Amino acid sequence: MQMLRVLLVTLLLALAACGGGGQPATSPGNEYGASGGDTPESGDGVDRSRLARELYFYNWSDYIDPAILEQFEAEYGVRVIVDTYDSNEDMLAKIRAGNSGYDIVVPTDYAVQIMIAEGLAAPLDKSLLTNLVHLDPNLLDQYFDKGNVYSIPYMYGITGIAYNTKFFPDGIDSWAAIFEPEQIAEFRGKISMLDDARETPGAALRYIGQSLNSTDPAALERVKEILLAQKPYLAAYNSSDVNRKLASEEYVLAHSWSGSAMQARNGLGDEFSGNPDIAFVIPKEGGMIWMDNLMILKDSPNAYTAHVFMNFLMRPKVSAQNTEYIGYLTPNKDALDLLSDEIKELYQQGFAPDEEMYKRLEWAVRNEGTTAFDDLWTEIKGE
Amino acid sequence: MATLQQQQQGRDRIRLALLLTPGLLWLVLFFALPLVIIFVYSFMTNDALGRVVYQPTLDNYITVFTQSLYINAYWRSIWTSVLTTVICLLIGYPLAVFIARSPQQWRMPLLMLILIPFWTNFLVRIYAWQIILANNGIINGFLELIGVGRLPLLNNEGATLIGLIYGELPFMVLPLYAAIDRFDFTLMEAAADLGANKIQAFLRIMLPMTMPGIVAGSVLVFIPTLGQFVVSELLGGAKVDYLGNLIQRLFLRANPINWPLGSAMAVLMMIVLLVLIMLYFRATTEEER
Amino acid sequence: MIKTAPATTTAARMQTAFSEGRLTWSGLALTVFSILVYLFLYAPIIVLVVFSFTRDEFGVRWTGFTLDWYIRLFNNPRMMGAAWNTLVVATVSTIVSTIIGTLLAMAMERYRFRGRNAMEGLIYLPIVVPEIVMAVALLAFSAIVFDLIKLATGETLRRSLTTVTIGHIAFSISFVVVVVRTSLKNFDRRLEEAAADLGADSWNTFWRITFPLILPGIVGGALLAFTLSLDDFIISLFLSGPGTSLLPVEVYNRVRRAVTPEINAISTLMLILSMALVALSQLLQRRR
Repeated sequence: MQMLRVLLVTLLLALAACGGGGQPATSPGNEYGASGGDTPESGDGVDRSRLARELYFYNWSDYIDPAILEQFEAEYGVRVIVDTYDSNEDMLAKIRAGNSGYDIVVPTDYAVQIMIAEGLAAPLDKSLLTNLVHLDPNLLDQYFDKGNVYSIPYMYGITGIAYNTKFFPDGIDSWAAIFEPEQIAEFRGKISMLDDARETPGAALRYIGQSLNSTDPAALERVKEILLAQKPYLAAYNSSDVNRKLASEEYVLAHSWSGSAMQARNGLGDEFSGNPDIAFVIPKEGGMIWMDNLMILKDSPNAYTAHVFMNFLMRPKVSAQNTEYIGYLTPNKDALDLLSDEIKELYQQGFAPDEEMYKRLEWAVRNEGTTAFDDLWTEIKGE
Repeated sequence: MATLQQQQQGRDRIRLALLLTPGLLWLVLFFALPLVIIFVYSFMTNDALGRVVYQPTLDNYITVFTQSLYINAYWRSIWTSVLTTVICLLIGYPLAVFIARSPQQWRMPLLMLILIPFWTNFLVRIYAWQIILANNGIINGFLELIGVGRLPLLNNEGATLIGLIYGELPFMVLPLYAAIDRFDFTLMEAAADLGANKIQAFLRIMLPMTMPGIVAGSVLVFIPTLGQFVVSELLGGAKVDYLGNLIQRLFLRANPINWPLGSAMAVLMMIVLLVLIMLYFRATTEEER
Repeated sequence: MIKTAPATTTAARMQTAFSEGRLTWSGLALTVFSILVYLFLYAPIIVLVVFSFTRDEFGVRWTGFTLDWYIRLFNNPRMMGAAWNTLVVATVSTIVSTIIGTLLAMAMERYRFRGRNAMEGLIYLPIVVPEIVMAVALLAFSAIVFDLIKLATGETLRRSLTTVTIGHIAFSISFVVVVVRTSLKNFDRRLEEAAADLGADSWNTFWRITFPLILPGIVGGALLAFTLSLDDFIISLFLSGPGTSLLPVEVYNRVRRAVTPEINAISTLMLILSMALVALSQLLQRRR
């Protein structure tokens, strides 16, 4: 009997110990007033008495300048608690299960479509998003959320080739530079492609002059040949720390997102500084464009506060600061002028699209047919 | 007499219930029941958005059984796991003997020394291996210094194997130690006195008597290796799919994700493993009796 | 070779040891081999400890000594909080799973009962289930349970450290059982019978005879459980709630973007803390 009692006590203690630590200090369900309405800037139309004390922001890792969160807290008295994820699917899994406790998430284009279809998103109240006027109309109203009923653009990016100019003094203008065995032979083991079933086959499709959404069997067969021929020369399929490995010259040539390349070039906050030899190009055959978006969850009890935060992020000054930190591209047209000269210069050099480059960029759409890409990817990994 | 026996039986039953209930409850509630969900998923359909649609089908199982890609991943993983297990055993057994033969006061510290590295995050340690093996890494720096030149040590299947052995070795050593610690080494001397040479004595006496440890260790190494995906991603360059990579991708990375197919693959893997283990443990238990 | 060895003290001592049979060639080989294995196990640890002091911001090269990463770490409440959460979860789940697992191991080794084979299967189940599958299953299960609770009581529950701990205990139990059972096998039951004959009740017999003899197994199982909990990332990721981050999840997210010496620094600190805990428990044991 004593044994049982010991067991019971331990169990209770144990559960109490971790239960105590587990509950958030204040339930995010309470829309308490902020410390008071006497904050200096109260002429911005924000009803401070409706603000929650805390906002739970589920975001990609390294995808917001921490200083911005401090500024927001200083101005509104709302603490933003950020948890991070590494893929849309990780995030989706937790949100789908319900009661996630998060208020705002940052799904990529196709994931926006999924979340709307599943009724996970709360419709936006545009009257609270006065800074929407600063966003580039070209990037609004996309296929995944017509009319931006549920989401607004946060950052966007393009996918091309990042390379080290020390090793490619003449620059690169074609996907051939990363796909043709005779061109990459001398860089064997120092090349990476994105570990993604759409990005990597998509690049090869553009190389052979097809749409990156093409599921034509003959084209996919050709793509498979290209990728298998390339594989022996790769160091890795990698979508995570390409930035760092480019900067440290572990890779000299990489299929990369513009933001990773920018981070490799300019550094990432105080994590590491950049390598000035890194350049980025969207090859002449074209590349991918994609966008991450802010979305309020349907079960968020802090929708009002979430709107205020979104509106804050759309201020041109805030957006410019954030863009400088993250390295991806801001959809905020009025923020562009506020960027540093250095970044503007890099945009000119191809880290951001211009009118002419836009024509070469393509969104990756998801439908019944595109499961073919997954089968293709499994085959490439299976050899 | 009869009542005394009944009393004894009754007490035994209560004792058994007390021993059994907490574990049984916990495992049923927080393990078996959740797994039922996976089992159910494996018979469902997936839609284009990666949602589970409650429409019963056998397609997932048919896919796993008929597509050579999936079967290849199974074989590749099994082969790698066998290799890892055997090498871990070959390294772990002498090490466990060394610890068990050390002076009493040294044994615990030596055992702890094996585990302590494992209290730093696995991912961080695997990253440290990247630093050791990379093109610009420590070993290559040394090799260049002594004039051998840089070698491609990282991003291949050899690097994956090193990472796996490194990651699983303690899970082999612990149960081996538990078994060898209980082994009476004077038996070896007795065997020697009776004219057996060392190898004979080892094969005839020590090996059978420490078999429970070998079996337990092998199981603890073989199975996690079969489901691993981090090592092959970080040290192997994510170039080849193992079973774990495939299942992980179906659950979390595919476009669209496919929980039903992932579940089917997982269910099949679990059934095979469970049968294997039970047979294995049954066999070793029989031997003893 | 031994005979012609120069008469340094070490060599001389070795020579006597050899001649007296205390030291054998095979024993020496075993020692050298074991040292090499320990080196293999510690290579990455040495790397990460050394590189927690490097100036190189990639943490991959030695470019000079600095304590910056530690200072930065102490100013990072998120990282420190995650480390604390992880230690709490690992400690609690180790204690609970070791107790439950040891009881279960006793039941399985000492009793024959109906449904024993099914129980056997249930015990091995957590070992054969890939982590990701378990994580998904527990996530879906928690959603269902929370919905039911809400329906019954109207209370909205969230995932938290409690759910993570429950999950960790669930997968740790089996590992404890496997290790404890190895020490219960080959156990000389006559010792227990003798104690009973001498009038000890079963409670005393357990604590005086059985427990000390299977202690290595229990300790081994507990260590395994602790290790598994510290390292688990997927189940922690899926079962944790908002704002309650755990170290493995934090490390996973950061390491995959850009590993910094800051990560090396926190790993070094965790290592020192764990070693201190071990040393302390050893001391306490010895005093008893």
